[in-house]
Amino acid sequence: MSQVLSRMAGDDAVFGHFGAAAGYALAARRAMHEYNTGPDTWKHIAVGQRKWANLNPRAVMYDRPMTESDYERSPWIVEPFRLADNCLVTDGGRAFILTTAERARDLPHPVVTIMGLGMHNPAADPVAARHLTGPTGARRAGEQAFHMAGITLEDVDACEIYDCFTYTVEITLQDYGFFGPGEGEEWFRGGTIEPGGRTPVNTSGGLLSEAYQMGLTPLTEGVMQLMGRCGDHQLGPATGNIKPEIILCSDNGGILQTHSCCILRRN
Amino acid sequence: MYSKPLPTTGLDTKPFWDGCREHTIRIQRCKACGHLRRPPASVCPRCLSRETEWVEMSGRGTVYSYVVYHVAYDPSFKEDLPYVVALVTLEEGPRILTNIVECDPAAVHCDMAVEAIWKDMTDTVSLPLFRPVS
Repeated sequence: MSQVLSRMAGDDAVFGHFGAAAGYALAARRAMHEYNTGPDTWKHIAVGQRKWANLNPRAVMYDRPMTESDYERSPWIVEPFRLADNCLVTDGGRAFILTTAERARDLPHPVVTIMGLGMHNPAADPVAARHLTGPTGARRAGEQAFHMAGITLEDVDACEIYDCFTYTVEITLQDYGFFGPGEGEEWFRGGTIEPGGRTPVNTSGGLLSEAYQMGLTPLTEGVMQLMGRCGDHQLGPATGNIKPEIILCSDNGGILQTHSCCILRRN
Repeated sequence: MYSKPLPTTGLDTKPFWDGCREHTIRIQRCKACGHLRRPPASVCPRCLSRETEWVEMSGRGTVYSYVVYHVAYDPSFKEDLPYVVALVTLEEGPRILTNIVECDPAAVHCDMAVEAIWKDMTDTVSLPLFRPVS
C-alpha cells in the first residue's frame, strides 16, 4: 500500500506527502486563511449527510448516527481534516444505462433525462495551480450546464455533489453560486442539506457516509431519486421535501483540477 | 540505511535535485518569455517554447498553505508525526512542496515568512526544507 502511494506521489513522497486527503487539505487550509471556513462549516456537511445515510439501508454508515460533538471528537488525519471529513473506502459497483429518450420510454423504469452538461479542467498540478481556493472548475462547468439546461439555481430541487471530503461539497456549491466565499457556514447551518432541509444534498449519505463509488455515487443517486426508487430516503413527503423534478450532480478529479456537472430532470 | 522515499531523477527533474545537492534551489526559466515554472517540464506552459535555463532562487518565501500529518501513510514517516507539509511560494514566484521544520506545527500559519535549510539525506540527496525566518 505505502509503495503504491509512494509511486503515485512521485517526488512529493520525499516530503511525506501522499494521497488525496492531504492535497484537498492544502486547498482547504488556504481557503480557511482567505475566508470564513473550516471545521465549523464542514461539521454541518458531515452530520447532515450522515442523517441521509441513516435512512439508507445500503449505506455503510446506516446504523451509525453522528452528532456535532461526534464530529468534533473525530481524530485528525491530515489537519485540518478529521476522519469524519474523509470519504469512505468501499468495494462495490454502480451503473447507469444511457440511451435515447425514445428507447428509455419503452423500459420498465421511469425516464430521467440529461438537461445540461458542463466540464472545466483548470489546472494540471496542485503546485502550479492558482485555483486552490476557487474558483475551481465547478464555476465554468456549472455555468455551461445551467446555460444548456436553461434553468437557474432556484430551479434545482436537490444536489448530489462529489464529496471526497466535506470541503469539496462547500467549494463546489460555492462555485456553482449557492453562496459566496465565507458564507458557507451560515448557508449550511440549521439543517439546510438534511432530510426536510431547503436544499437536500447527497441524499444517499454520499461518499462520506453511503459508499465510495467514485462519481457514480452522486450520479446514480440523482437518477434513482428522480425515478422515485430510493425507499426510506426518497425525497418527498416522508422526508419533508418536495418530490424532485431537477437534480444537480457533480464530479471532480485530481486535487480540484477537473470538474464535471450534470443536471438531470424527471421525464 | 535511509528508509524514506528518494526522489526520482528524470530528465525534467535532475537539474533541480542536482542543485539541491549543492544546497541551491534551481527553478526552470523559459528563455523565450521568462516564465519561472514548477513543476519542471520540457515545454513552457505559457508560450510553449522549449528553450529553458535553470536559475537559482534566493531560498526565501512564504507559506501559501500547509497541512499537519497525524497519520503515517508510509511507515518511514511514523517517527516524524505530527509533521508539516507545506506549499511555499518562493519570493521569485514559483511554489515548491516542502516540509516546515524547527517550528511547532501549531504555530505554522499561511503567509508566514520562511527560509530554506538543507538536510543531507544520503551521500547524493539533499532536501530543501523550510523554517520560520528568525
